[in-house]
Amino acid sequence: MTAQLGHHASPDEAIAARSNMLLGVKLGILSEAMLFGALFAAYFVVRADSPGWPPISGFERPELILPGLNSLLLVSSSVTMQLAVRAVRSGEGSRMRRWLGLTMLLGGIFIAVQGYEFSNNGFGLDSGIFGSTFYILTGFHGAHVLVGLGLMTIVMNRARRGLVSREHDTALEATSYYWHFVDVVWLFLFSTLYVL
Amino acid sequence: MNQRRHLLVAGTAWVVLSALGMFLVAGMQIIPVIASQEAEIENRAFVLLAVVSVPVMMFVVVGLVYSAIRFRAGGERGDGPPVHGHRGFQTAWVGISAVLVLGLFVYGTIGLVDIRGAQTAEFEVSVSAEQWAWHFDYPATGVASKELHIPVNQRVHLTIQSTDVIHSFWVPAFGVKQDAVPGRITQIYMTANRTGTYPGMCAELCGLGHTGMTMTVVVSDQADLDTWLSQQPQASPS
Amino acid sequence: MSAMARRSILPGPGLTRAVLWAAIGFAIGAGALAFGLKADEGQIFGLGYLFALFGFLLGIGAFRFWLTWAAGREIDVHEEHAAHGRAGDWRRYFRFTTDHKVIGIQYLVTAFLLFFTAGIAAMFMRFELAQPGIATSKDLYNMIMSTHGAMMITVALISIIGGLGNYLVPLMVGARDMAFPKANALSYWMLPLAVLLVAINPLLGGFDSGWTAYPPLSQQANLGQQAYLMAFVTVGISSILSAINFLVTVFRMRAPGMSLLRIPIFVWALTVTATLALIATSVVAAAFTMLLFDRLLGTSFFRATRGGDVILFQHLFWFYSHPAVYIMGLPGLGAILEVVPVFARKPLFAYPLAVLSFISIGVLSFMVWAHHMFVSGMAEFFHIPIMFTTELISIPTGIVFLSALGTIWMGRIHFKVPMLWVFGFVWAFLIGGITGVFLADVPTDITLSDTYFVVAHFHYTIIGGTIYGLFAGTYYWFPKITGKMYSERLGRLHFWWFSIAFNATFLPMFWLGIEGMRRRVADYPTALGTVNLIVSIAAVNIALSVAVFAFNMVRSWRRGAPAGANPWNAQTLEWQTASPPPIDNFDVIPTVTATPYQYGSLGSTAGEGRAAP
Repeated sequence: MTAQLGHHASPDEAIAARSNMLLGVKLGILSEAMLFGALFAAYFVVRADSPGWPPISGFERPELILPGLNSLLLVSSSVTMQLAVRAVRSGEGSRMRRWLGLTMLLGGIFIAVQGYEFSNNGFGLDSGIFGSTFYILTGFHGAHVLVGLGLMTIVMNRARRGLVSREHDTALEATSYYWHFVDVVWLFLFSTLYVL
Repeated sequence: MNQRRHLLVAGTAWVVLSALGMFLVAGMQIIPVIASQEAEIENRAFVLLAVVSVPVMMFVVVGLVYSAIRFRAGGERGDGPPVHGHRGFQTAWVGISAVLVLGLFVYGTIGLVDIRGAQTAEFEVSVSAEQWAWHFDYPATGVASKELHIPVNQRVHLTIQSTDVIHSFWVPAFGVKQDAVPGRITQIYMTANRTGTYPGMCAELCGLGHTGMTMTVVVSDQADLDTWLSQQPQASPS
Repeated sequence: MSAMARRSILPGPGLTRAVLWAAIGFAIGAGALAFGLKADEGQIFGLGYLFALFGFLLGIGAFRFWLTWAAGREIDVHEEHAAHGRAGDWRRYFRFTTDHKVIGIQYLVTAFLLFFTAGIAAMFMRFELAQPGIATSKDLYNMIMSTHGAMMITVALISIIGGLGNYLVPLMVGARDMAFPKANALSYWMLPLAVLLVAINPLLGGFDSGWTAYPPLSQQANLGQQAYLMAFVTVGISSILSAINFLVTVFRMRAPGMSLLRIPIFVWALTVTATLALIATSVVAAAFTMLLFDRLLGTSFFRATRGGDVILFQHLFWFYSHPAVYIMGLPGLGAILEVVPVFARKPLFAYPLAVLSFISIGVLSFMVWAHHMFVSGMAEFFHIPIMFTTELISIPTGIVFLSALGTIWMGRIHFKVPMLWVFGFVWAFLIGGITGVFLADVPTDITLSDTYFVVAHFHYTIIGGTIYGLFAGTYYWFPKITGKMYSERLGRLHFWWFSIAFNATFLPMFWLGIEGMRRRVADYPTALGTVNLIVSIAAVNIALSVAVFAFNMVRSWRRGAPAGANPWNAQTLEWQTASPPPIDNFDVIPTVTATPYQYGSLGSTAGEGRAAP
């Protein structure tokens, strides 16, 4: 029997399974990084091709205030996520749940703020290359945030049932890797789509 | 038989077959019809690559065939010698490969630069591709035609555009090929050096009519070209 | 078993339920858009497919464990175990079975069925091309040609790594299964719907863009085009998941004593392949997603009139698709190099250098993509560096020949069927490689690009590398997988018939290309008629020889002579356990002390090619 998440024949197998799972998650994140890499590459190419940015008059680039706020929210949420991981490592279940809950809240506010910004942008996916690149990048990122919130919901649910502890922290650890990745992607997005 | 003899026999076969092959290939004209400077340069590249390929190919083929004949196990159930590698041979192999690659790269770069040539021209044609036909505009005289007529021994500049999907402008006898890309202008500078009529065709899948998207290309001397141009209808002002 | 105790009128997890739930999913997804919002047929079909895929996977039980785990409920340990399937139970091949050996066979059989289907498509193409003029229709030709390409690419991508790789890698590294058996099964079960999309494509109008799907042509309305794009992305996601599995298995689950330079060369090849798949696939997924968005959501990534860049697609597409040809080729090269030492009874020559060369091929494969774009109108400065890297990659590729030739030289060669394929590979891959140099050199590429020279080149490399590797590996490992021996006689017939037909089909195509015959055309100048006719007749023979192969496989599986644990007297770990192996592979995980190529030492002798008396 291979060591798998869920039940283990021995403590060694449990350690190996955790380590394998985390390696798998890191590799998956590498693949997702390439996805965003391709989208960013597309953005840079069409922007370099274009006479101005935005190329078609009538659109304005979004103001920096909302995405700036969002950057603060996400960076904070990475901090709270890491605090949750710290808490589980020192065996403090309720502390962990609180930090995790806060992370989810921050992530949720991020989504709400993004939604609000999108509704006020005045351009859509079909607004030429400017809207296309803007929304595919922010859209894929937003989808990844939603997935992250889903993962955190699952971990929270299991934590409430006492299934997350110092010995059984793989899911939380994996989710934290994913969440930090999502945060880093946002920072790239913010600097290239909004600032530069 | 020991290793030395095997190497001698196989090596001799290799040398003889390579020499034979290189000799046969060196005099060939690989591009069937050559009507431009660019095609001449390309043909020389073809021949050189073919000549260099011969000893490389023969090395592998002789090694393979010789082994298949000489090193059959027959009824022997025993294993071969426990040889895991040979530093000298491996180094030589990699080294020679590297030298060949470098040489081909330098030759290819020179060839490419020569083919692109001077980015100036005496005769301008504007090529437009659509599903599924070619159109040619001659800006100097205002002529529009479905045929491409260019002067011999003069530098010609073709600007190429597409109105719908990607097509590709190709005239085999000229050794020139360039995609026609919507949203972009691509170009070819070339010098035809043989009069005659040559086929041209679209070389990028562009839908149903791709198979039939061909063109007629005529290379003529200046006088004949001028006559032809004067006989063509003018393009309607757009 | 708990499933038996809970009798219910509703079908339990399995293929029947999967198909049912897929249909329901499609109805929900498509229906929501069709009757709810104003959507066009592409959007309706697109959402329908997404729901259908999800429904299918739910129905087959792919998510059962994870959903239970996520809900925080008790996991049934018996059900977990049962997911491996019971040996001898044929039904486990049609279920969500987590045993890597079952999954390997599922991949292999699926790949071969696709291969046969794509081959029939090729027969249609050759029928049309047998004579000048249009015998059928240009529309039908473009459709079938595109489908042939899409299917064969899929076969080349999944047959060896998904089929032989899944079956053998855990065995060859001394593990009891892959790192993530459930994810492994999920990877497989993502494929049937994708394959279905490609198979029913003609009913959706087909797609005439070729597998390369360049816009703007691929943006022009046609549901079949969209189906292809969606199928491709599905297979892509499946392969990324699979790649993660391979990498974690090889890096974390090897038997004691199996250091990196004691890993079998086949496993190394698949490791590099998995790395390429992991890194590159997302890029083409992005490109196809952008194309789908252009078609469905009004974006303008590749619409020049609205600021898009048509050539951008090609860059993104080929950034994946060039490494992809190594994803196709490396497993074949690995299989070939795994087979050579066994039948030359000599160590694999220059094994560490061969490993290094596979890694170098992998790294360099990311730096050459634009050689598919020399005449595309891309930036001029790019041509020379790409010509350099492309020619450079021939150095590590050449090492494969060094290793193969060095192994057979002075060996004791036994021409069993797997070894025949090795020799055939050397010839075919040599032609493929040499002609690649003509395409790498920009001056000659200008003439050759988009002609039958290219078609010949890639058939020589892919058939020579992947298909010959697939046949070599399938015959070689047939006794391990089935416990029976195949028929040598029929195998030899297959090999010679195939090889003669293959060379007769594709060698003339080099000439056709130089004579000006373009790719992807249903017709050509009359002067090329005779050669095309010969090619068509030869091509039919390829199909016939493959029929011999299929017959041999099926008959031998059912009635072949018993093979025993190690009919070839090979040294890799899979041969140190029963044929077929027990469910958890080994009674005792062996300890490794050297490379599996210690031929010529310790009184080792050739295998008898059958069960030891």
